[in-house]
Amino acid sequence: MRKIGYLGLAGLILAGLAFGHNVAIVSDSLQDREVARLLKWVLAFAVVIFGGVAGTLAYAVYRFRSRPGDTGLPPQFRENPRLEITLTVIPLVIVLILFVLTAQALVKINRPIAGALGVEVTARQFWWDFKIPEEGIRLSSELVVPVGRPVEAKLTSADVIHSFWVPSLAGKTDAIPGQVTYNRFMVTHPGNYYGFCAELCGPSHAQMRFRVLALDPKDYRRFVEALKAYRAPEPQTPEQRRGQKLFLSRCAACHTVKGTPAAGVIGPDLSILGNRVSLASGVLKNTPANLVRWIKDPAAVKPGAKMPAFKDQLSDADLEALAAYLESLKLPGFDFAALPKY
Amino acid sequence: MATLTRTQPRSFAATLWDWLTTVDHKKIGILYTVTAFITFGLSGIVAWLFRLQLAHPTGQLFTGDTFNQMITVHGAAMLFFFIIQAGLTGFGNFVVPLMLGARDVALPRINAFSYWAFLFSILLVVAGLFFGQLPEAGWTFYYPVSISLGSAFYFAAILLLGISSLLGNANFVATIYNLRAKGMTLWKMPIYVWSVFAASILNLLSLAGLTAATLVTLLDLKLGISLFNPAMGGDPVLFQQFFWFYSHPTVYVMLLPYLGILVEVAATFAKKPVFGYRAMVYAQMGIVLLGMLVWAHHMFTVGESTIFQLAFAFFTALIAVPTGVKLFNILGTLWGGKLRLETPLLWVLGFIFNFLIGGITGVMLSMVPLDYQFHDSYFVVAHFHNVLMAGSGFGAFAGLYYWFPKFFGRMYNERLGRWHFWFFLFGYLFTFLPQYALGFLGMPRRYYTYPTEVAGLLPLNQLSTFGATLFMIGGLIWAWNMISSLRSGARAPANPWGGWTLEWLTASPPKAHNFDVQLPEKFDSERPLFDWEQKGVELAPEDPARIHLPRSSYWPVFTATALFVFFLGLAGWDWPNLVMGVGALFTLVGLVGWALEHEYAHPEHALHETLTGKSNAFMGMIWFLTSEIGLFAILLAGYLYLRLSGHAVPPPERPELWLALVNTFFLVSSSFILHFAAVDLKRGNRSSFMLGLLVAIVFGLVFLGIQSYEFVKAAHHMNWREQLWASAFFLVVGLHGLHVLIGATGLFLAYLQGFFGRILPKQPGTLEAASLYWHLVDGVWLVIVTLFYLW
Repeated sequence: MRKIGYLGLAGLILAGLAFGHNVAIVSDSLQDREVARLLKWVLAFAVVIFGGVAGTLAYAVYRFRSRPGDTGLPPQFRENPRLEITLTVIPLVIVLILFVLTAQALVKINRPIAGALGVEVTARQFWWDFKIPEEGIRLSSELVVPVGRPVEAKLTSADVIHSFWVPSLAGKTDAIPGQVTYNRFMVTHPGNYYGFCAELCGPSHAQMRFRVLALDPKDYRRFVEALKAYRAPEPQTPEQRRGQKLFLSRCAACHTVKGTPAAGVIGPDLSILGNRVSLASGVLKNTPANLVRWIKDPAAVKPGAKMPAFKDQLSDADLEALAAYLESLKLPGFDFAALPKY
Repeated sequence: MATLTRTQPRSFAATLWDWLTTVDHKKIGILYTVTAFITFGLSGIVAWLFRLQLAHPTGQLFTGDTFNQMITVHGAAMLFFFIIQAGLTGFGNFVVPLMLGARDVALPRINAFSYWAFLFSILLVVAGLFFGQLPEAGWTFYYPVSISLGSAFYFAAILLLGISSLLGNANFVATIYNLRAKGMTLWKMPIYVWSVFAASILNLLSLAGLTAATLVTLLDLKLGISLFNPAMGGDPVLFQQFFWFYSHPTVYVMLLPYLGILVEVAATFAKKPVFGYRAMVYAQMGIVLLGMLVWAHHMFTVGESTIFQLAFAFFTALIAVPTGVKLFNILGTLWGGKLRLETPLLWVLGFIFNFLIGGITGVMLSMVPLDYQFHDSYFVVAHFHNVLMAGSGFGAFAGLYYWFPKFFGRMYNERLGRWHFWFFLFGYLFTFLPQYALGFLGMPRRYYTYPTEVAGLLPLNQLSTFGATLFMIGGLIWAWNMISSLRSGARAPANPWGGWTLEWLTASPPKAHNFDVQLPEKFDSERPLFDWEQKGVELAPEDPARIHLPRSSYWPVFTATALFVFFLGLAGWDWPNLVMGVGALFTLVGLVGWALEHEYAHPEHALHETLTGKSNAFMGMIWFLTSEIGLFAILLAGYLYLRLSGHAVPPPERPELWLALVNTFFLVSSSFILHFAAVDLKRGNRSSFMLGLLVAIVFGLVFLGIQSYEFVKAAHHMNWREQLWASAFFLVVGLHGLHVLIGATGLFLAYLQGFFGRILPKQPGTLEAASLYWHLVDGVWLVIVTLFYLW
């Protein structure tokens, strides 16, 4: 019985690992190929070792359990040098093999890539700011990159230590105040990739997310050119006009909207908020209702959020006007919500 | 055997007083064990509560800071107050002296003090509640997210716990060196004693990392003295180097004692000797050595160079080998035996299975590119619960059920014990196996919510919460089993399992003096009861006149309480404050009372023969000093790194060299004077000894006076809040000054003992240990002069 139980458990674990393997690896960039290769090796050894040891354990329990009435002493042997040495050498050889594979993969992965797209990433409690100096654009919370071109994210932090992690694209790298670290990846399929902060950074650590939106090179080029030339569209409705007035008087000290006097840099850039798939740094779906909810009381959505609450200063009509204005800020011709999600 | 100690009913107050003042290693072992397991239960409940929060992403039970406080307290309590303690200080205090055939530990009053300091450090962590904030920066309290009032209590708790555990470890090592039964050579010690020995040494060698990380962060918070603050050129990653220099080796402190327990249980329940005893001892020592070389595998994502990462990956992978040896040898011990499948052995079998998975996933984590993915994700959460909860934790329960009859003189309920086991095994499988998959899916750890858009997160989290509920049910069964068995379990025989190590020679529970018989002076193997039984050795009763036990003392608990007050002041208010002052004053009172009290009713009984010929105090102090050297070495290494990398640049106007040289003169001469004073004492020249001691103390005070003057002057032209070099200077030189103060206090205690005639040529009291400490402080000063004044 126990044996069957153990076999079942072994199956469960392997199924879990295989499942994870399939989900985690979604692209065929260099990094993912290396990770996949390492996983294959280590899982192969894992199956053998797990099967061998768990099987031995199950057999020993079955074979050597004490039977009623049998009171004599079992053989009192103390050692078996040959066996012990063998059982020391086998794992030694295995870990050495794995280490060599690790070393090979690591050297490849950590090598800087010529021609990579540089992205300056600044982590803050609790959102992410992206600048692509080469294109002269700033994006907040949602980074747009081209498919097929390596990206080199240059990370730093404005306050505590954070960690930049897009599980479907690459491993994580910490963003450290006063220092610069690098995270390199390449996207091979267009999509909307989920990003997380992976280092405990305060009350809203769990809400410090972001997106990497990967576009075909053609779309990416179109997007960058459009953004470079972008000026916020003039408000079209009386509500939007009211919203713009409110925005410029209440929000401009912290937020930037290109083409308006709003040029604050303490908070995220809202120039193309209408294009974003998410609000509040990757936490809420981008809808006017969610935007109102957020502006009313950010800390109710994200504990410890630095943005002040406006519920006592703005009426519901004000909030809706503000949301209507912000949602109108967009580049025409881009629907990021339609990108497949990873 | 009758339990004589339990027959007289006593008032509650008398019982309480007895426990407060006890120096009996068994009672202290029970206090440690019970405290540790209660902590386990409480912080397990906390874990279940936050698993409830995670059952749904929109859960509002515990969010933000509340959630962070819960995971912090859960982690800190489980690691520092349960898993490090139960196997080492809990079972270790109770069982090790018994296994060695000793009457007590080497330093019984120090042992009592260690326990009370440990208990108070638990109170310090939760003391923040009364100040409105529990620690919330994770048990790893990374800089700078840990710059908060709640964390301050955690820092104070860690520093106090550090003192407690260093003294406890030094005590174990001294006990094992000095108090083994005659004829029990090192290679005849039970494997559990070896593992306590290895764990103690590892802790003594590495704890300095944690102390350094904690101390500097606390100083940053309270005074602005920092090595980590990037605003003044410091390096936040240096915090992590300090922290992990301790916190990885300590993983093996959390493992080794349990490996020892598991092997003992396996041998007893298989009725066989330990398989590959020597290999296992070497494997343990290999783990101690390699364990010191792998810390940076917790830091693969901080952007260190590839070669740095590979070096640590190599040793990390390598450490799987000795760990594997231990696992194979437990299997080998079971092989061919007659396995009694009772509760203690079930935990051993569960351990092998669980630890196997944990070991494999550990090797996966050593593969750096995979670690980039797994680090700080639920994969890591699953891995370390796999090795600590389902590994060491299972070892803790194996030990608890195994020694329960010996501890309390009653049997536990076997049926409930089995239910407990199965609920924990399946609880673990359901809680943590899904978490491996969660890690693959990209769920970071320490998240109170998660996106449902990522497929799989919701069902796997719910499965995990279901598993945590199984744990809770198992925990209730366990608690009921413990309580009901303590009250009405069957009386336990002296040797219920047929064990062959010396603790089974004593009554259950053992009498105050442990052994009624004289132990033979010949040991053939690590299981003397088996050998003596085979050879038909008759054990002669011991002459009661030859039994001397240390007396109860209220000074340890008094001193620990005073120190608790001091640390409370350290955490709770700006420096300096009245609470700190009161605490420090009463600590001094406690030490004086302690120093002037006789440990034994007849002072000459303190002169028990020791195996090494060195006194217990000497042996303990030597090992304690390794950790002090470590502390300065780590801080100086940090300083060297900052200096050589160009972060810490000395200001043009530095503290003056000539003043430091004058101070060097005083300190070095005081060391020589002290040495000759000790020689005088040995020659019986008491008055000259007293004079020498006094001069050494006065020189120490002169040193402190000059240093204070220098600090006041330096503070005028150096700003430690802005200049990294100044920060390092005040930190290291100031810490050394504190050591001079402590050393001078030690010499002062020796002087008082001499004044009251308590120091005799053959009975050096505090002198021996205090002198060793003084000479060390002296040596460290020479390094400091070189690195801070000359260079």
